[in-house]
Amino acid sequence: MATGTGEVAAFRNVSKSYGRVKAVNGLDLVLRPGETVALLGPNGAGKSSSLDLLLGLREPDSGTVELFGGTPRAAITAGRVGAMLQSGGLMSDVKVREIVELACRVHPRGHGVDRVLATAGITELADRRVDKLSGGQEQRVRFALAVAGANDLIVLDEPTTGMDVSVRRQFWDAMRAQADAGRTVLFATHYLEEADSVADRVLVLHRGRLIADGSSAEIKARAGARRIGFELHPADGAPAGPDFDEAVLRALPGTVGLDVSTRADGVRTVRIRSADADAGVAALYAAGYHPRGLEVTSLGLEQAFLTITGEQDRTESRTESEEEYVR
Amino acid sequence: MTTLVRLEILRTLRNKRYLMFTVLYPALLYVFFISAYGNGGTVANGVAAKSYFMVSMATFGAVGAVLTGSAQRISLERKSGWTRQLRLTALPGRAYTLGKIAACAVTTLPAIVVVFAIGAVEGVDLTAVQWLGLAAALWLGSFVFAALGVALGYAAEPDAVQPVVMIVYMLMALFGGTWFPVSDSLRTYARFNPVYDYNQLASFVHGEGVAALPIVALAAFLVLFTAAAAALYRKDARRA
Repeated sequence: MATGTGEVAAFRNVSKSYGRVKAVNGLDLVLRPGETVALLGPNGAGKSSSLDLLLGLREPDSGTVELFGGTPRAAITAGRVGAMLQSGGLMSDVKVREIVELACRVHPRGHGVDRVLATAGITELADRRVDKLSGGQEQRVRFALAVAGANDLIVLDEPTTGMDVSVRRQFWDAMRAQADAGRTVLFATHYLEEADSVADRVLVLHRGRLIADGSSAEIKARAGARRIGFELHPADGAPAGPDFDEAVLRALPGTVGLDVSTRADGVRTVRIRSADADAGVAALYAAGYHPRGLEVTSLGLEQAFLTITGEQDRTESRTESEEEYVR
Repeated sequence: MTTLVRLEILRTLRNKRYLMFTVLYPALLYVFFISAYGNGGTVANGVAAKSYFMVSMATFGAVGAVLTGSAQRISLERKSGWTRQLRLTALPGRAYTLGKIAACAVTTLPAIVVVFAIGAVEGVDLTAVQWLGLAAALWLGSFVFAALGVALGYAAEPDAVQPVVMIVYMLMALFGGTWFPVSDSLRTYARFNPVYDYNQLASFVHGEGVAALPIVALAAFLVLFTAAAAALYRKDARRA
């Protein structure tokens, strides 16, 4: 899918607080046409708040939010944005077809109802009452509302919550079709495998700050994408015995994290998180080590995500304690 | 916008519980009052009971229809997030409120007509002009309460809105001449009660001529409630 120039959406130094809680803290971010972007973050990281600001449902305390070079409201009135909110309720006492028809009619560039029902995979639900649907079915109706017209940007907040596995796959197929049609897609999710397989750009939000921005491969590399695990037995030579020096392991190329534990019999269990496992292992042998039970495993995006947010927590708590000390 | 208004009307008419409460309930009360006062019974000032309660039960039904129809639904739909979802469409903000008021206005008509039909059968004797004029006056007057309902819907959370609406509704009815005429000593204060003014719209059919004061009072209430509804709506939009 082609990534064009220009800006679909832009956050410029945006902050938003609720009382004393900084939900969004100095966010700078530009979305470009054609991108499929995943927004990751633990609960309370500021994902929904950021989406609210993007859609103009809330005003930032400072900074500016732009959609297609104008205000969010102007972009919505022009029919360029479709959105599916986590908290988007539906009308009661109406049929699925009626609510989708409403969305199509009010959209300045609306599609036909039947087409939208088919896109969202809810043609067979058309005559059901909205208040009689299951959670996953409701999600698909919300998705239909988000794709009721020819939007240039589609925003989805935790879209697959409540869907079972097969429906979730259908949903992402429909979503990919939207992206292939040249639309920019921004979605927040808890399911990291979705971000890994669908998004070509991943944003990690933590405590209202953007702490990582890149392809899923880049995020994994940053966190140390592979884990090298082995044991060192004292019987295998000096570096594993009396001359053991952690600094040597830490200096292996690609090392991002190191964990060593020693058993009573002197056997050490070593775990290295590495951004370049091949070079790391080669250097390990070159340094005269004889690792036993060598294992190189790949970290998923989930591990990478936990690592990055964990590092951020440690950095912040360190900064805070230093501030304490200064005072 | 018409699509939304039409859908709002349709779903309101589909809700059987709502129709029972707003149409059937006042009609049953009216039948009860007629039998309690007897066929020739009168209330204060010699007004026939069947004619007095025809008006007061029609207004009772109309106020109930618009208050619960707007306040309760708006409050619930704010909670469920439907109002947020609508803000992500090209619809102007007022479309939602207009849809609610239109749906209310459609349901007040049957509430008024059913009670009038019972009155006609029971022998309330009015000229054609009086019938039509009265129905039009009561229908138009109901918009004042629709504005109040919208304001309450934006002011109260869903778990609070039902008791709030009920208390407001019952107090206004109690001191507004719905169940018994307002006594002379209370009348000075009663004109600050929109339900009392609403009931007074009917004075012309009791041979008292068209009363200007209640019309002015209702117009003032309409302005007040609309301003309150608009302010509360904007506050709600800021909180999303």
